[in-house]
Amino acid sequence: MLEVAPYKYPQAEQKIEAYVADKVFIPLSQHIGAPAKAVVKKGDALKLGQLIGQVSAKVSAAVHSSREGKVEDIKIFNHPTLAKAPAVVIRGIELKEEKAWEVRDLKENLERDSLVNIVKESGIVGMGGAGFPTHIKLLPPKNIDVLIINGAECEPYLSCDYRLMLEYTEELLRGVGVLVKILSCRKVFIAIEDNKKEAIRKINNKINTKDFGFRAKVKILKSSYPQGAEKQLIYNITKRIVPAGGLPFSVGVLVQNVATTFAIYEATYLGKPLFERIVTFAGSCLKEPKNLRLRVGTLISELFEKGILQFRKQPRKVIMGGPMMGVSLDCLDYPILKTTSGVLFMDEVDIDQRPEDVCIRCGRCVDNCPMNLMPLEFVRLVKKERWKDLDRFYVSDCIECGNCAYVCPAKIPLVNYIKIAKAKLKSLA
Amino acid sequence: MRLLVEISPHQKARYDTKYIMWQVVIALLPPSFAAIIFFKLLAVKLIAVCVLGTNLTEAAVLFFRRRPQRFWDGSATVTGLLLALILPPALPLSVAFLGSVVAILVGKQLFGGLGQNIFNPALVGRAFLIASFPTLLTSWTEPYTLDAVTSASPLALWKFNHVFTKLSHLFLGDIPGSLGETSALALIIGGLYLIGRKIADWRAPLGMLIGVSVLAGILSILNPQNGSILFHLFAGGIMLGAFFMVTDPVTSPTTRKGRFIFGFLIGVMVMVIRKWGGLPEGVMYSILFMNAFVPLINRLTKEKAFGR
Repeated sequence: MLEVAPYKYPQAEQKIEAYVADKVFIPLSQHIGAPAKAVVKKGDALKLGQLIGQVSAKVSAAVHSSREGKVEDIKIFNHPTLAKAPAVVIRGIELKEEKAWEVRDLKENLERDSLVNIVKESGIVGMGGAGFPTHIKLLPPKNIDVLIINGAECEPYLSCDYRLMLEYTEELLRGVGVLVKILSCRKVFIAIEDNKKEAIRKINNKINTKDFGFRAKVKILKSSYPQGAEKQLIYNITKRIVPAGGLPFSVGVLVQNVATTFAIYEATYLGKPLFERIVTFAGSCLKEPKNLRLRVGTLISELFEKGILQFRKQPRKVIMGGPMMGVSLDCLDYPILKTTSGVLFMDEVDIDQRPEDVCIRCGRCVDNCPMNLMPLEFVRLVKKERWKDLDRFYVSDCIECGNCAYVCPAKIPLVNYIKIAKAKLKSLA
Repeated sequence: MRLLVEISPHQKARYDTKYIMWQVVIALLPPSFAAIIFFKLLAVKLIAVCVLGTNLTEAAVLFFRRRPQRFWDGSATVTGLLLALILPPALPLSVAFLGSVVAILVGKQLFGGLGQNIFNPALVGRAFLIASFPTLLTSWTEPYTLDAVTSASPLALWKFNHVFTKLSHLFLGDIPGSLGETSALALIIGGLYLIGRKIADWRAPLGMLIGVSVLAGILSILNPQNGSILFHLFAGGIMLGAFFMVTDPVTSPTTRKGRFIFGFLIGVMVMVIRKWGGLPEGVMYSILFMNAFVPLINRLTKEKAFGR
């Protein structure tokens, strides 16, 4: 685990602001599994939150319109992780005419299966980054006795989960209540890193003064990276070890990110599908960092065109996600996805351009690997093209957290080598 | 707008190899200053010649290998400084220079340069010299005197004459011995700096000190004439070896368990040589010997992957 600097970023102090995009580009694939199947066509008039892509396979998720308006096109468009992918382009109607979302109460008599069905129909996926369809996680083949709400937010720069915990504390806890009802689990932990003192205080306050129908404990974690990684989080809190290649349910645990939990609240209490999320915009190239509540499909470029965000200076690198695991973009015409936690704008100084040097076998990559792997061996074996030996060092277990490349004094891009190794092993299998 | 597209992570630690090497040089300053206090000009000359020798050799080899020069990465300076600190203070400078050439040429560049060598280069240089000039390499100088009065080291006095040097002298370092090995205090200061700044890992040094202590403890219980634990820890090259030799990243194991085992076995072996070997001291041979076992140790102590 890596020591990270205390929470010192100015974006943590920025209140969430909402912005509604004029035009949205909604990819049909924003999750792990099969892309959603489009159920609208060019020229269709859409309501806010109307289904535009339906679940197409066992592992898949629905996609909804994030604007009331008209389908302008369905075309191949920029996608941060898939490069190019089909997207539904919607031109929104004038904002003042857009209908506000109708709030309704949770029907008390809802059964577990119908709650899960609401989650499924609302297109909810893991919003911490992985994008695994949530409804599948909620119907595990084994009984779950521990629920962990992940508010660790261990990636530097990001503050969207922190702001959510601060500003939507009660809604978040109601979402936790829905999860408890679905899983009927005994223990609930809300995991937060110790650099988010205010969030810890606020949540503790709420669960102590109000009855949400469950008992939960705030678990304060040391601020280190990758504290929020699922398997490490489960181990730190329950001391249970998820076997390699296994999923958390195999040890009776379910982990949900706070943003996902909030989406579950909105889906069940408001009947609102997942079509917006909180995104952190930060980095030294911005005049002012912000936490924005955005519609899924909003282009980053529109935020600058409309003056919502302003550059202090030209960025050298734009990262979707955090600095440790995020994806760098080649332009600003990329849509915000359900899984987008932040967009960072880095300058020459922030990014490290020192060339790759020789390995001095110092073992810092070994000492800092949360999966207890030996990253330097991956580099050695990839260079020698000894693909078969890579399996013996369990390269497939790597979660690509980036710790090894971060600590490497020789600036060896270890994640690069690991990606090569994984791709090669896949092609050989 | 031209944007850079790269694989994550997008931020990296500020330090690099060069920084680490120069931090080792800084950690070697206390023993170097102690050497200058005790051996005055002899120390200054020996350090200068060795550091010059390793850097010149490195530059020359890289030139002939048509590789980019990396003088400022500090690794040759570390080797030169370490070599100077493990040589007798009054060693003729030409011999010291020869040692530094061999250290880099044979100990490092012949294996392929930085990161590739199996044996600790400074120790390779010293091993070469002790084989070539056995008398010169065992002629010690009394501290504070610049004339080369040949005298016995505390370990030789213990082994051959059964005379014990007082612990306070061993700790402070005003005794005959290798240039930078005499003052345990200075080495501990430098070593703790190295470990405190996380430049070196603590496992190999701890393993070595435990290895020495365990065997020295048993032997001293059996017969007090074998010397106390503290005597063996402070005399000879244990402190320099533990803090600056077994922590060399290139020639020590990469696994955490491996580093401890590596250090421990070296510590045990040093005591075996001191007690039963023909020589009064065995740090150099023990480390060089165990260097050869590093790949095996790595293999046997492979980290247990999470969830496996």
